Amino acid sequence: MTRTEFFEHTLPNGLKVIAEVNPGAKSVAVGYFVRTGSRDEIAGEEGVSHFLEHMVFKGTKKRSAWDVNREFDEMGAKYNAFTSEEMTVYYGAVLPEFLPRLLDLLSDMMRPALREEDFDSEKQVILEEIALYQDRPDAVLFEKAQRRYFGSHPLAKPVLGTTKSVSAMRVEQLRDYHHRRYVPGNMILAFSGNLMWDEALMLAEGMTAEWSQGEAPRNYPPFKPKPGFERQSFEKATQLYATFVAPGYSARREERYVAKVLAEILGDADNGRLFWRLVDSGLAESALVFHQEYDDLGTFYIYLQGNPANEKAMSEAVIEELRKLQAKGVSDGELARAKLKAATSLVFAGETTISRLFYVGMNYSYTKRYEPLDAVRRWLLHLETYHVEELLEEKPFDEMLEYHLVPVVEG
Amino acid sequence: MAVLITKTLDNGLRIAIESQPWNPGLSFTILVPVGAVNDPARLQGAANMLETWLWKGAGPRDARVFADALDALGIRRQSGASIEYTTFSASLLPEGFDAALELYADLLTRPHLPEDAFEPIRLLALQELAAVEDQPARKLMQRLRREAFVSPHGQPVEGEKQSILSMSPDVLRKEYQRRYGPRGAVIAIAGGIDPVRVLQIVEKHLGKWSGGSNKEVPVETSKPHKFHLRQKTEQVQIGLFYEDVPPGDYDFYAARLVAAILSGGMSSRLFTEVREKRGLVYSVGATPGSVRGFGYLTVYAATMPQRANETLQVMQQVIYDLKDGVSRAELDRAKVGLRAELVMAGESSRARSATLARDFYILGRARSLEDIEAEVMDVTLERINMYLKKHLYVNPWIGTLGPAEAD
Repeated sequence: MTRTEFFEHTLPNGLKVIAEVNPGAKSVAVGYFVRTGSRDEIAGEEGVSHFLEHMVFKGTKKRSAWDVNREFDEMGAKYNAFTSEEMTVYYGAVLPEFLPRLLDLLSDMMRPALREEDFDSEKQVILEEIALYQDRPDAVLFEKAQRRYFGSHPLAKPVLGTTKSVSAMRVEQLRDYHHRRYVPGNMILAFSGNLMWDEALMLAEGMTAEWSQGEAPRNYPPFKPKPGFERQSFEKATQLYATFVAPGYSARREERYVAKVLAEILGDADNGRLFWRLVDSGLAESALVFHQEYDDLGTFYIYLQGNPANEKAMSEAVIEELRKLQAKGVSDGELARAKLKAATSLVFAGETTISRLFYVGMNYSYTKRYEPLDAVRRWLLHLETYHVEELLEEKPFDEMLEYHLVPVVEG
Repeated sequence: MAVLITKTLDNGLRIAIESQPWNPGLSFTILVPVGAVNDPARLQGAANMLETWLWKGAGPRDARVFADALDALGIRRQSGASIEYTTFSASLLPEGFDAALELYADLLTRPHLPEDAFEPIRLLALQELAAVEDQPARKLMQRLRREAFVSPHGQPVEGEKQSILSMSPDVLRKEYQRRYGPRGAVIAIAGGIDPVRVLQIVEKHLGKWSGGSNKEVPVETSKPHKFHLRQKTEQVQIGLFYEDVPPGDYDFYAARLVAAILSGGMSSRLFTEVREKRGLVYSVGATPGSVRGFGYLTVYAATMPQRANETLQVMQQVIYDLKDGVSRAELDRAKVGLRAELVMAGESSRARSATLARDFYILGRARSLEDIEAEVMDVTLERINMYLKKHLYVNPWIGTLGPAEAD
């Protein structure tokens, strides 16, 4: 197995620095994991987290937007950023000799200039991004279902905001949000791959020394799933797109691994129960199940796509399979196969320094501890059917939201 | 350090093995030259349907027992037909390789192709085809390829409604017998493995494979032209198709570096001019592509209708301006980017096995990462600018999809 060693340290300003060091790796990855996303936005600033993520690439006091782009490319970096409901992550991977330069660039970017002229042009780019997803029925389905399922809970908000909220956005709102959320106590600097810990830590401390301390709390309002059935027509769909949303487990709960294995048993693309029932029979084009973990809760998502003429049959088949699962549980063989497959996936999730960075950084952001991939693998392999039964005893699929997006019927 | 060995078996199957001693996993890719390009015109979509059908039982196992046997080895798998070939990829722990390859050998050489699975496969194929309508970018780029190639390289992998409806179990079984075989096929394996042992296992399971083969299909293109697909969308999809350098050509890596200068990182020309300076798009990019003996460059952007004309104009101008050459700084960035990409691809057994298989198919030889790096580094500023003088990126096929045409 890959020999890795883990280090962590909290800097005087409160920034947590972590590293999974693998001296055998050929590259090194660095990321800032900011614990902030659409759920942390207040009324009137919907979409600000994602807008800010774009603006972070537009330069700092010492760097123009062009400097930022050029410097990444001069290092041959593989780099990007993403925003979710709960996290905003900036990352890059380079050959080891470029680590100090990459760290300097990413650290500087965390204190962006947020210039008015860049803001206006980037707004157009983001409106294009929103339009892009409006042409994709699967994306539209998930946005609608998420809104409906989470209701007044902050996880209902779409990450990109809306055309309306983004159009009305002012640069002061970005500055305010940045000031509120991008504080050292709410960020993690993570490293993975080939690096010297002492050196990286020293550099990180120097580059972030001027950041003033601060914490950014998050609201955890109570949540009660709102089960139900919705059916909407969408003019850009010729196929049926449907989802079932049911309660799952948070990123901080151990049961999330059991939930992942259960999702695999039910919805694996090659050998899941829904595959055999719906895809092997030609009823649907896809039938997949995901377990999505958030900070304080989780959800199962079942996704169906296929011929709209089969709408009713598909929906009934899924409900019947879920009932059967809750009533009769899973077999030993099924569990053994699913857990082995999930465990093997983790070996491949650990192949590249970037995928290890995501794994270590995300996990630490949620759980505040380091879980080596190998330990998770062993844990998965020790799962027993009673673990799954315990989870099914809570009858997660009794409280589902079922959401269908269907083509407009002509005439 | 990764070590690459290659071998061709008597039956024509080509093998590439790259050991990555540090890697706890193993991935392999089997590439069979069965794709849309050799689907008979009336049987378009046959390669795609065959790939699905192959999974419905093989050797001593029916479909479910077969899937369970793969799962019992923890195998993560992917497979699919494309323009020129069908690939079967798997990732697993090295100790399972022998058993895994036995299963894949059954799949390739002893599939049941059962009658009762045929109608469901047809239904699936029809749904896949219909779903393309809901993916504007994919629909446009597929059509663009179709417009540019006169030869069957433009045929849709998903087939056509009529051809899917006309298929029968017997016809498709004949296609399997005619086209699936070791000649022209490749298996590439990468990961923490003992190459000698791996080679023995491949010979054991696939050494006796015999079967059909496919004729090489020569590439023929149409005269560059414009077309528009009218569809109600938020964004206008824009696609350009340029003829480029074929794989294996002296200038191949010069052209790859040009593509990186156009669209590699965020300092690349297209990103800078179209998105950063003008805010016209969220996505814009150039992707080099190739089939055997022919290279092409596709360029894509999407933008709202009122800005489509300007976007198309800027894209074409940026590409046309390549004739004036590139700067040393641009070339340096493109080179270091490609080099880092190679190193990072070398970390992943999945990426390596896929690339080795494709290289072997397209070029007739598999190359180590060091070989590729040397070829990239050999492209000097003089050489790339000389190349740009003689190879002009002009006169593309232009396709748009959206509520109104851009011009």
